[in-house]
Amino acid sequence: MSIGRLPSSIRRRGHGRDATAVAVGVDTGGTFTDLVAIVRGELRVHKVLSTPEDPADAVIRGLSEMLADVSVGAVTYSSTVATNALLEKKGARVALITNAGFEDVIEIGRQNRDDLYALAPSRPEPLVKRAMRFGIAERTLFDGTIIQRLTNNELARIRKLAAASNAEAFAVCLLHSYANPKSEEAIARTLQPLGRPLSVSHRILAEYREYERFSTAVVNAYVAPRMSSHLQNLETRLKGARLRVMQSNGSAIGAELARAEPVRTILSGPAAGVIGAAALATAIGTDRFITFDMGGTSTDVSLFDRRARIRTLSHPEGYAVRTPVIDIHTVGAGGGSIARIDAGGSLRVGPESAGADPGPACYGRGDAVTVTDADLVAGRLVAENFLGGKMKLHPERAAHALAQLAREMKSAPLAAARGVIRVVNANMERAIRVITVERGYDPRDFALLAFGGAGPMHACELALDLGIRHIVMPQNPGLLCAWGAVGAPLGREYSLTVRETNPDYSRLLRRAAPLIRRVRNELKAEGAAKIEHELWVDMRYRGQSYELEVALTSRFIPEFHSLHQRTFGHAAPDAPVEVVNIRIRAIAGGPAIAPKKIARMKGRAKPISRAQVMVGDRERIVPIYARDSLGAGTRLRGPIVVVELSSTAYVAPEFDLRVDDFGNLQLEAMR
Amino acid sequence: MKIDPITLAVMNNRLAAIAEEMGVVLGQTAYSPNIKERHDFSCAIFDARGELVAQAAHIPVHLGSTPLSVRAAIERLDLNRGDIAALNDPFAGGTHLPDLTLVAPIFIGNEPRPFGYAANRAHHADIGGIAPGSMALATEIYQEGFRLPPVKIVVGGEIARDVMTLFLANTRVSEEREGDLRAQIAALTVGSARLLGLVKSSGRATVEAAMDALKEYASRLMSAALRELKSGTYRGEDFLDDDGFGTGPIPIRVAIKIRGGNAIVDFAGSASQVRGSVNANYAITLSATFYVMKCLASEAVPANEGLMRPIKLLAPAGSIVNALPPAAVAGGNVETSQRIVDVLFRALAKAAPDRIPAASSGSMSNLTVGGFDRFRTRHFSYYETIAGGAGAAKGRPGASGIHTHMTNTLNTPIEALEAYYPMRITAYHLRRGSGGRGRARGGDGVVRELECLVDSNVSVLTERRKIAPYGLAGGGAGAKGKNVLVRGRNRTTLPGKTNIDLKPGERIRIETPGGGGWGA
Repeated sequence: MSIGRLPSSIRRRGHGRDATAVAVGVDTGGTFTDLVAIVRGELRVHKVLSTPEDPADAVIRGLSEMLADVSVGAVTYSSTVATNALLEKKGARVALITNAGFEDVIEIGRQNRDDLYALAPSRPEPLVKRAMRFGIAERTLFDGTIIQRLTNNELARIRKLAAASNAEAFAVCLLHSYANPKSEEAIARTLQPLGRPLSVSHRILAEYREYERFSTAVVNAYVAPRMSSHLQNLETRLKGARLRVMQSNGSAIGAELARAEPVRTILSGPAAGVIGAAALATAIGTDRFITFDMGGTSTDVSLFDRRARIRTLSHPEGYAVRTPVIDIHTVGAGGGSIARIDAGGSLRVGPESAGADPGPACYGRGDAVTVTDADLVAGRLVAENFLGGKMKLHPERAAHALAQLAREMKSAPLAAARGVIRVVNANMERAIRVITVERGYDPRDFALLAFGGAGPMHACELALDLGIRHIVMPQNPGLLCAWGAVGAPLGREYSLTVRETNPDYSRLLRRAAPLIRRVRNELKAEGAAKIEHELWVDMRYRGQSYELEVALTSRFIPEFHSLHQRTFGHAAPDAPVEVVNIRIRAIAGGPAIAPKKIARMKGRAKPISRAQVMVGDRERIVPIYARDSLGAGTRLRGPIVVVELSSTAYVAPEFDLRVDDFGNLQLEAMR
Repeated sequence: MKIDPITLAVMNNRLAAIAEEMGVVLGQTAYSPNIKERHDFSCAIFDARGELVAQAAHIPVHLGSTPLSVRAAIERLDLNRGDIAALNDPFAGGTHLPDLTLVAPIFIGNEPRPFGYAANRAHHADIGGIAPGSMALATEIYQEGFRLPPVKIVVGGEIARDVMTLFLANTRVSEEREGDLRAQIAALTVGSARLLGLVKSSGRATVEAAMDALKEYASRLMSAALRELKSGTYRGEDFLDDDGFGTGPIPIRVAIKIRGGNAIVDFAGSASQVRGSVNANYAITLSATFYVMKCLASEAVPANEGLMRPIKLLAPAGSIVNALPPAAVAGGNVETSQRIVDVLFRALAKAAPDRIPAASSGSMSNLTVGGFDRFRTRHFSYYETIAGGAGAAKGRPGASGIHTHMTNTLNTPIEALEAYYPMRITAYHLRRGSGGRGRARGGDGVVRELECLVDSNVSVLTERRKIAPYGLAGGGAGAKGKNVLVRGRNRTTLPGKTNIDLKPGERIRIETPGGGGWGA
């Protein structure tokens, strides 16, 4: 079937026959587009090559190949279009309309620099050129009073400027618009007839702190035209199936909102991955875990404590975005990180990476010694099975590179390999401490969910360093994102700055009422039936400037005091408290999904070979198993190595391995 | 015990993580915007000798100076289990009075002597003195605020109420001070617990040996960086505008002698200390030198005592770079520290012309506003620093509206400021065209205009209003800064350092300097 032609089932859906309509999750990656569907309770998975010039081609093709026999009801999509527009600086020409005298707030930002000790500090190029920042005479105050009203002349002047500019999108950002949106709305009405996408700051984010709100609106304007035309195209080709897009916070929104506010999807892919991991972990009865996704150049970690942790501020490509995102911490170290002895005699691993080309020494092109080379020399990566044997590795080159490093360290090659692994693990350990200890969690209370090309190779020793006793290495980790997308609920999250000192509960409920109405109406329009919402408040002691998030119940004030005590070790129950923001989070449940069961193990598991593997400080002969030969119920004792297509797992002697019903490798520390 | 390259890397990571975690606790628990929003603090771990082994510094000016505070506390007090020392005395290890440093000894089991120390330093928004914000134009330290030589603020795990009461009675916004102090104490508790945890998991001997090895490691990295420079003596000179009391321009001179991986940094020939508050005490000069040397190293050098081992600092006693009591020093920290950096870079530009940038704005443009807020019926004291332009370097234009060198504090959002203080921001934008000309242009400074809504006392402590930030390699100087009083249509240029009473509706407009350009 050629790309772009729809299966008859999708066309039929257009006539309203959706008795067998199925939900599909789609993840577009750099190389592959993964699809997951639930058809009559059965899980179907499919993989096609991505089509970067128009990602929709791969989506349509995948759908037609996988679902020729049923009609598609809804497609939930984790899209990289907005992310890539920002990453590749291929967004729109944006004009900014803001208060006269404040045109450069988006360039000055918070006036700080990222690197304290850079000889010449630099900042990312502002997304709006200076000549495209138009000041307008207007001023609103923090309590909503307008002390300088927009005049018709001003509006006409700005409209003329905007029309004459070659801007492809507009951002409208006025001071204190969260407290009174009238002026922003007036400007929006004036610009509407020009027919270019509008990003109005209070609509996206009705919270105080001007730089973060303005920057969020500008990033939105920058990615909106691309994302909008892409989604429109995809929607047309889906012929009536509902299109939804994953937001950075792990829930989905309808295509219409995603086109208007694509900034909400900027971390769509990673969010889908965490939600997929959560669905899997829940299916096996683990609801507190840390995801550890170690790839070639970077590693992502996140913490899941019965729900994903959400952060309200992120800095993709250095631009502030204040929309809810799953709290994912990234470090610039992975399998491709280069190891070297620095001028002071310490072993350093990363941040330089050999990437995919020339890649690690064992790829046969470069000479730099990387983590992957150390894993290979330590026997934890099995050369013959790399990518199912499709790519030839050169162990002799890895050995040579490590011997070189060992000479500089005045040690043996094996000790050097072990050193590289220990140092990169120390980087990972620190990343995990950031999301656990620094947020008030004890890593020992969590399981480690290890995936990515290098994750399962490093998980055991990392877990031992952190005191973690349970590791899960998921079956089909490449599908976690698509899986997360198919299971993602529809969701909305809005906030409003209220700044109330010692407010009572009923007053806050009244202020929240418009938020609740808005969320319910929007979700219903996207086809949601059973909507659940939660109200939260950002609170602090009056005079503080950092808020804690507390559920808005009749007991929200005592709950705040005790949360403050738990988080910071002290509380002041007599001090006045301030509610800064009200926040609503609503979801309309996604389809229940369960992973596919695998066949039970018949007979005893047989190793495919044995090899020298570095175990602790010395080498031992260790059995190697093929993952696809291990049925459900298999039990093995470390040290062993398990190979599969996309990665290799090393099970340390401290751990026992069990293959669960769904094919996940579950490791428990025994000693 | 010998530490191998692997253990060195692992322990470097772990010790730095402890300092960073302390910083997270302090930043989140503090009360004042100055600490929470602007991150004007730092946290560090010290060994048994009081030598710095790891530091999470958001502000470079704390880098070299915190060790002096810790040593002063150790020398003057008998610190026992559960005690915490507090100090701010610039002549006993402090920097300027608003920077309050806390030091806690860390004991292993029943050992009689501390294994190490946890310390942190935070800039408090008011510490008494003749003007709100404690950054007034003073002529003696006694006018600048409450001076605290090393004293125990916590004894045996209990707050020393008498000391605390005395301290709080001498500051303007005592509730906020107490909250910030509690946050500093909480961060020390976490730092101590984490270091003991590391000792438990890695072994006492290993941690101890690693602390020494890390200092040696930093020292080797610094030497390697110095060895990349051609041997020779490099001289630099620049000037402070004035001291606010009629003395100026005030020369600062340095000769940097580089040879064989070592450097002697000699400030002989710099002016004598002055009447106004731009005197730098030794800790400030040390910090500025520390900062420049750390920038010079191409590899990330861990922030510890070893960094300065290859460098010998000579600062004549009684001079503008090593002031003696009772000199006023508030401006030494925030202004003179920047000029010391400018002088050092100007000298080093001759050793590494392709790397060193032209002068950045060279002033933190300090603004303090205080008074009685009749809308909220309370006293207020508000302090901010305003960014300027960064100097350009070869092939790299300077960034605009950015804090450079010895500071990196965030601005206070306008939407926060206006909601909590009786003032209004009437302009905040780049001062377009203020960056120096050149093949690479200097960054632009900033215009910030503030209107008072009640009777307010305003202090301005700024530099580079008379002598512009220099360009390099033929590049032009950045524009000088300007302070303007706006009364209706009347605009009066104010001196760089002044204290003035404003009526409701009157405005102060600060135009910060641009950065120097690079190349003709």
